[in-house]
Amino acid sequence: MTIDRKKIIENMSKIRVIGNEDGLVSGFNVFVTQLPAAIWNTFADRLTAKVDSEMLEAAEWLLVNAAQECGYHTGYGIITSDEWKAVVEPMIEKAPEDILYGAFAVFTAWGWAKAEVIELIPNEKMVIRAYDYYESDAVSYGYGNKKGAYMIRGVSAAFMDLAYGGEYDPTGNTGMRTFSCKQTKGIECGDDYGEFVVSRAQ
Amino acid sequence: MSNFKNLEYILDHHFDSKSCRHYVNGFVNVLHCHHYATLYAQLADDAGMLDGKLLLAESCEDVFYDVLKKYYIENGICSIRDKINIAEQYYSATGLGKIHFQKAGPESGYTELTHSHVDEGWIKKWGTRDKPVNFMTQGFISAVFSLLFDTPRRSFEVFEEESIVSGATKSSFKIVRK
Repeated sequence: MTIDRKKIIENMSKIRVIGNEDGLVSGFNVFVTQLPAAIWNTFADRLTAKVDSEMLEAAEWLLVNAAQECGYHTGYGIITSDEWKAVVEPMIEKAPEDILYGAFAVFTAWGWAKAEVIELIPNEKMVIRAYDYYESDAVSYGYGNKKGAYMIRGVSAAFMDLAYGGEYDPTGNTGMRTFSCKQTKGIECGDDYGEFVVSRAQ
Repeated sequence: MSNFKNLEYILDHHFDSKSCRHYVNGFVNVLHCHHYATLYAQLADDAGMLDGKLLLAESCEDVFYDVLKKYYIENGICSIRDKINIAEQYYSATGLGKIHFQKAGPESGYTELTHSHVDEGWIKKWGTRDKPVNFMTQGFISAVFSLLFDTPRRSFEVFEEESIVSGATKSSFKIVRK
């Protein structure tokens, strides 16, 4: 692997986003916002805390799905962007595996989570470890048993969709949800890091 | 006749290389796309049993209230005019769109959007819709009104009366003191 994670983070973390004269940000084939992370955390945590236990899994699936669609479309925008071509593409020797390593460096640089790939079985399985992530801020003291990193789950699965799910489909009808992700550890649950296992969707 | 100098919203952005988090004016900020925002709006709309629309609006109200209150205090911003000026600039800086507070009083008000991340993102993703989807902005407006008139959160109700997502040229919001 020739991906220089440190260099990618240094370069891609310099991105500065501000709305244009219409208050909109267009980039990577999508509209983008830069909002306090607490907005997403607050809604996700209140929703999953209020929902009946029998509905919890469905609510969590919808939160993960939001991130999976975001990760699929924005992820594709990232790996076809000029910034990617300038910084990451020259490091890629073996696709799509190096693309995945590079994508998680960008994922880190953009503040989604300080996360890296620690295991990758091509076309089959990927394990991600996240050492710091804003979704763990939902717990300020102590820890619980609700693993709440829905965004990391969704985006991690989306990156595997992009790598091994076939050609990118702008409609999302094919290619997306070919992989799913389980969170096996969480900082919010008292673990030292979050851990995420992505495998083929059942 | 008085001359007013418009204040400029200052966006202090830095990346903490240890935690790999982005901070804007002291708050952890994160980039997300219109797929994310519109799917959250759809989820809120679908969660009728929990009043998901109100849940999303109030989540936004609480966070925007904290963000703007801190900014106003740290920058000595006290007048209603200056608070509105900064709130409008902040809204645009985040990428949420273009908001204009047309009328604000302690009992009622009126606000318009000429561009909207959520509405235009929704149209881009799914097309038009005959019901409002911008619960996030309802929360934003509610937070701003509470800060304008030094009232607690949840002091104002916000009603979206016309919507860009429904094909209108602008979204309009009526604000009423509870």
